[in-house]
Amino acid sequence: MVQLVGPLSKELADSVSSCKILVVGAGGIGCELLKNLVLTGFKNIEVIDLDTIDVSNLNRQFLFQKKHVGKSKAQVAKESVLRFCPSANITAYHDSIMNPDYNVEFFRSFQLVMNALDNRAARNHVNRMCLAADIPLIESGTAGYLGQVTVIKKGVTECYECQPKPTQKTFPGCTIRNTPSEPIHCIVWAKYLFNQLFGEEDADQEVSPDTADPEAAWNPEDTAARATASDQDGDIKRVSTKDWARSTGYDPVKLFNKLFKDDIMYLLTMDKLWKKRKAPVPLDWAEMLQLGEDPRTRNSRLKDQQVLNVGGYSRLFQHSVETLRSQLADKGDGAELVWDKDDPPAMDFVTAAANLRMHIFSMNMKSRFDVKSMAGNIIPAIATTNAVIAGLIVLEALKVLNSDIQQCRTVREKHIKAPVKSH
Amino acid sequence: MSEQKTNKEQRYDRQLRLWGDHGQEALENAHTCLLNASATGTEILKNLILPGIGAFTIVDGHKVTGEDVGNNFFLSCESIGKNRAQAATEFLQELNSDVSGNFVEESPDKLLDNDPEFFHRFSLVIGVQLPESTCQRLGAVLWSAGVPFLVCRTYGLVGYMRLVVKEHTVVESHPDNALEDLRLDQPFTELRNHISSYHLDSMDKKDHSHTPWIIVIAKYLEKWYNEHNCQLPKNYKEKEVFRQLIRDGIRKNENGAPEEEENFDEAIKNVNTALNPTKISSAVDDIFNCVQCENITSQTSAFWMMARGVRDFVQNEGNGSLPVRGTIPDMIADSDKFINLQNVYREKALQDAAVVSKHIQSHLQAVGKPSESISEQDIKLFCKSAAFLRVVRCRSLAEEYSTDTFQKDTITSCMDSPDSEMVLYLMLRSVDRFYQQHSRYPGVYNYQVEEDISKLKLCVNSLLQEHGLSVNVKDDYVHEFCRYGTAEPHTVASFLGGAAAQEAIKLITHQFVPFNNTFIYNAMSQTSATFQL
Repeated sequence: MVQLVGPLSKELADSVSSCKILVVGAGGIGCELLKNLVLTGFKNIEVIDLDTIDVSNLNRQFLFQKKHVGKSKAQVAKESVLRFCPSANITAYHDSIMNPDYNVEFFRSFQLVMNALDNRAARNHVNRMCLAADIPLIESGTAGYLGQVTVIKKGVTECYECQPKPTQKTFPGCTIRNTPSEPIHCIVWAKYLFNQLFGEEDADQEVSPDTADPEAAWNPEDTAARATASDQDGDIKRVSTKDWARSTGYDPVKLFNKLFKDDIMYLLTMDKLWKKRKAPVPLDWAEMLQLGEDPRTRNSRLKDQQVLNVGGYSRLFQHSVETLRSQLADKGDGAELVWDKDDPPAMDFVTAAANLRMHIFSMNMKSRFDVKSMAGNIIPAIATTNAVIAGLIVLEALKVLNSDIQQCRTVREKHIKAPVKSH
Repeated sequence: MSEQKTNKEQRYDRQLRLWGDHGQEALENAHTCLLNASATGTEILKNLILPGIGAFTIVDGHKVTGEDVGNNFFLSCESIGKNRAQAATEFLQELNSDVSGNFVEESPDKLLDNDPEFFHRFSLVIGVQLPESTCQRLGAVLWSAGVPFLVCRTYGLVGYMRLVVKEHTVVESHPDNALEDLRLDQPFTELRNHISSYHLDSMDKKDHSHTPWIIVIAKYLEKWYNEHNCQLPKNYKEKEVFRQLIRDGIRKNENGAPEEEENFDEAIKNVNTALNPTKISSAVDDIFNCVQCENITSQTSAFWMMARGVRDFVQNEGNGSLPVRGTIPDMIADSDKFINLQNVYREKALQDAAVVSKHIQSHLQAVGKPSESISEQDIKLFCKSAAFLRVVRCRSLAEEYSTDTFQKDTITSCMDSPDSEMVLYLMLRSVDRFYQQHSRYPGVYNYQVEEDISKLKLCVNSLLQEHGLSVNVKDDYVHEFCRYGTAEPHTVASFLGGAAAQEAIKLITHQFVPFNNTFIYNAMSQTSATFQL
């Protein structure tokens, strides 16, 4: 049913319809890529994606509709493709490509692998698997209006990891816990706080003041003394944040006063930190209640893009804690929440907590829209860029397959080339 | 109603971060017309429907064939025999229920015969796989109606786009490297006053190291002026001396070593750009000198009204400078100092915008238009973007094709490299010629390929001869284009679909600068080029 492209030689056309290919990722690039592959005559396609469909995907991942939100991307993508090409042979995996089940043998079963990923870890992994299996890989990526496509073939081109790539920025613990100076520090702190209170507690995601901060000590012996003191300081510091919160029944006012008043006052006692820095100013819940709504916010801007005053964020903090508390209760004993930028109360919580901390440390507060960008590492995305890149990927795929044939041909047969017309 | 709004915000979140809500609004108010729902056409529409264009109308007289189904995602076997406009509209509509889809079962030529004014209602007309004569006819109609026209074509492994718009104004061009508008070379009164409220030498350590770098540079500039006859540091050498002056101003601790003052480091880094003389670019000057800016009538568009308002400001209250932009970059400072400084610029920007607004109001009044015709919000945005205004003017198709006015020099010099994308343009022109002579395109059926090669070659030669072009078109290209046989490979259509939709979005949102005016994509070599023809 699917016609072969006129400009392809017969051999290439045959190779296209018989070869087996793997598409890693069924998101922005993946949807466009699947469409292009099927309409170019590829018949045997396997697609893998661990993600589920979200509303914010619908502005470009056109194989998905509103009714599919929450379902597996790979699965729905396969179903949508089969709707317009029932004869395509597609296998979908709702799984992570880094799962050891997908071993070198698995990769070797394909003639070509195409990435449609959005993170470095997976790209590195697929790169290595393709090198090990000696299968050509077409790597690609998009962000906003920019995109790129690269062909990686062992022994012919450099691989994905040949050139060092800039690492994602991480911040030292004491900056997050004691001396934030930029909004991003406060946002990271708020995300840690979410996990400490509602999610999986992580020793690397402490939010309380760091008494072992080397900068806080007047002399080196002090640091050591402080460190041991905090270890021995049994009760208060030893109890986990979550346990403490639970003991108060996740009372928003008690949480507010601990995080934004008591802990800040504790930081102030580490006076060396504030010699050259502007000292944080603790908040008081009672005072926050007095603050009315900021008149400036009553304009036509999208709600998400408004910046509230500190009273507004205090109320938002209270509200989101109450909502998350009941979410947690609904899940039962020993439950944990996972932070998701697209889950409104989770996003509200981070917006409120981050902004309160920004205010305390004399930084200009940010709108929910901006906090979401930073907290969620959001990369803007549109249909057009993905369409362009996916178009390029398939053209490169044809060239890769063609050169494989050429290589074989120089070894074995004579040069035959006959144009095949669409009919 | 508001739940609907939140849903849209969620759905469009990732693109709002690129063109903002006013860009989205422009998109949702647009109605585009597509001629021919071939693969290229439906791919373009897909990329406009997904982000939420207001409405689309497909004009197509063809019936769906098996060949269509083979390369078009938006047609199925059941569509065969149906009108292609209708079949495609049904599928495209599924992409986004917010978008209104319409179709007309008519060929573009018939429509031009019977009702050319039909096209006047659209924000943009996109013509795909149109024969040259239809293009020319439609081009003439749209040119006089002032409707932008985007011509697109996939021909084998070649993609082609041509933008035809008489005048396209851009307020938000989003330049890649925009310099800040700090006015340090000619501080306005409020800025001067604010600067003089700082006394660096008598500040305590904390304040000194948290003073915005803009103030630091301003203060040291005053020192410099005293010793240099009020002249800005002009060249690298002078700027180095100036940087050292600032460096020397860094406080020292009790051991004589320099303290860590990041704000001073920032000041030193920014000396290069912060001292550039404030002046208006030639592009903006040209806009002010345009006849549209000079002759304000009741027909004058908002853009030119506002341009005239800004020009009046420049020539009077602005003393040769544009309204202050009002933004300053992030910097090391305590928040009080930062906010105060930011407010100085912000308030001046508001003041200047108000003056511009008054000028605009008087022009509106003079031509009998109500003052609400142009919103304060638009005026503020215009003033903020004043340094980056752009106007794009494309040559008409008539000018491109006429033997009197075609771009002979451009074509000839490009063809100095015989494999330049320009040869693909000449081949496209040649296959159009072939179509005119033989009522079909070359090499569509296998048996035609060989004999059409020589026929196509004749077309190439007559094209070159008629235009007095002594360039060499290699035989390889003639063979190649015969082999293509008007195939429309899906993946090339997909690429072009993305590129064309992106230009369409630029035209509709008036953000970013569209190409001017011809784009050629070579899918074999993965190269492309733009020409002004």
